[in-house]
Amino acid sequence: MKILTTVKRVVDVELNIRVNDGAIVEDGLQYVINAWDENAVEASVQLKENNSAETTLVSIGGDDNADMIKKCYAMGIENGILIDDPALAKADSAIYAKVLQKVYEKGDYDLIVTGKQAQDTDSGQTGVMLAEYLGVPCVSNVVSIEVVDDQKIKVSRLGDMGTEIVELTLPAVVTVSDSINEPRLPAMRGIMMAKKKKIETMDLSALGTSIDDLNGGALQSEVVEYMQPEARQSGQKFEGAAADITAQVVNLLANEAKVL
Amino acid sequence: MTKILVVADIKQGVLKGSTSELLSKARALGAETAVVAIGSNIESLGSDLANAGSDTQYIADDASLELFSAGPFASCVVDAAKQSEADLVWFGFSETGKAVAPRVAAQLNVACASEITDVTIDGDNVEVVRPATANKLIQRIKVNTDKLVAVVRAGAFEATEGITGTENVVKLSIPETDLKAVIKEIISEAGDDIDLADANIVVSVGRGAKDQAGIDLVKELATDLEAGFGSSRALIDAGFMPHNKQVGQTGKIVAPTVYFAIGISGAIQHLAGMNGSKVIVAVNKDPEAPIFNVADYGIVGDLFEVVPILREEIKKIRS
Repeated sequence: MKILTTVKRVVDVELNIRVNDGAIVEDGLQYVINAWDENAVEASVQLKENNSAETTLVSIGGDDNADMIKKCYAMGIENGILIDDPALAKADSAIYAKVLQKVYEKGDYDLIVTGKQAQDTDSGQTGVMLAEYLGVPCVSNVVSIEVVDDQKIKVSRLGDMGTEIVELTLPAVVTVSDSINEPRLPAMRGIMMAKKKKIETMDLSALGTSIDDLNGGALQSEVVEYMQPEARQSGQKFEGAAADITAQVVNLLANEAKVL
Repeated sequence: MTKILVVADIKQGVLKGSTSELLSKARALGAETAVVAIGSNIESLGSDLANAGSDTQYIADDASLELFSAGPFASCVVDAAKQSEADLVWFGFSETGKAVAPRVAAQLNVACASEITDVTIDGDNVEVVRPATANKLIQRIKVNTDKLVAVVRAGAFEATEGITGTENVVKLSIPETDLKAVIKEIISEAGDDIDLADANIVVSVGRGAKDQAGIDLVKELATDLEAGFGSSRALIDAGFMPHNKQVGQTGKIVAPTVYFAIGISGAIQHLAGMNGSKVIVAVNKDPEAPIFNVADYGIVGDLFEVVPILREEIKKIRS
């Protein structure tokens, strides 16, 4: 089985993010692998370990993605593709999905594993759109993947009515939840080996496409302004004897907030 | 005139509140409204759908649609979107909406936006507002296609009292079953618990509860209040709480009138799932816990001591 795992380099959401004049202040930001994609990498490596699969990752971005790709190598991913093209500096989910479609078509993969959303946009569209463009089945918010045979996998998904068990005919796309696994910390040996591994870098023409094939790079939607959310007014904090302060808060909930 | 199609949120044959919230917003925008309902044995929902504020009801009712399957579900929405000539297609906030909206957008070849909290229509120009980056940023997004498919964030719009529509049912043809993604079964974890998405009050429990005994103690508070019962991620990873109880960026997003965070420290991923609540009450031993930065009323104390008093005091004040 050939697995393609997509990973995105995103801003570290644990740190402060500032906005000035409608734009994100780049100064002081740090970038990390998208947390859900790290789960996708772990899921792919586990499939490789348990089912003799071949693992390839793909990422779209500049050469500053190299550290992230090497980290994925250290976790056990075998091959890495970086799509680096200035025409993709501004892209939306649909364009990313179309680029990934080209990568898929070049590689004859059986399964695409991706995080259910990227933590910079929290959109959760690219993986699902990719499946639509490819015309292959897709299940999102997946919490387990089990190989049935060469043709089929069985996944479970957290849906609105409970855990859905779905059998997928390959090729297929799954987008994974962070509940699927706990990504491993790479071992020192893996880190050393990853340093020597190459990254296959391609621009759009090497991929056999061009920005004209991608609707001229026209964006279906675009962010015109970033804003900082209004911080919640920090309220009243009560310390002291539990009986007293609890009674006080209940009284306020009933008479001040009027919500009880 | 703008045309808005709302995808009805139906659980176990019952129309959920988000449908009338979205239709109320659509009417407030002066739009022509339609709704699409997909499921099995839902024919009788026609008048409920009209009363929720729609003027046309597209209904796909078939035994094959009983269990959720994203492919056929998307086909029904695309069919209704085409027939209604909708400019905007809105899903309520749900795993169904998140799974289906990008498919519909891809099939219609139009823009898709997740978790929108507001929309403005100015002639042909449509803009939406949505949180991003674990709620650390708000994006204002300009839509460049002539249509938009969007998932509306929980609690973004309010239902208008006394809203009504007209019953005008259009039956949709039933799409073929997706043979490449076969639903084998659905394991329901919910039981007859109160749905977190609909609950007026939510009580959530976190790591501070330590074990099953602590969780049971906090659950009694939820039962007293007839509240939805949620959890932070720690107890789910530890196997104490089922996945479908997780409140947070990666689980359920809730916006109740009152949210009780009991023994929850307040990691940003959790805050992203509940900071739209009207009133937040926090109980935590650690006075420095980040949950107190968002709580309207913070009680610094041991939940094992505080929760029984809380139950007692609430009973007293309510009687």
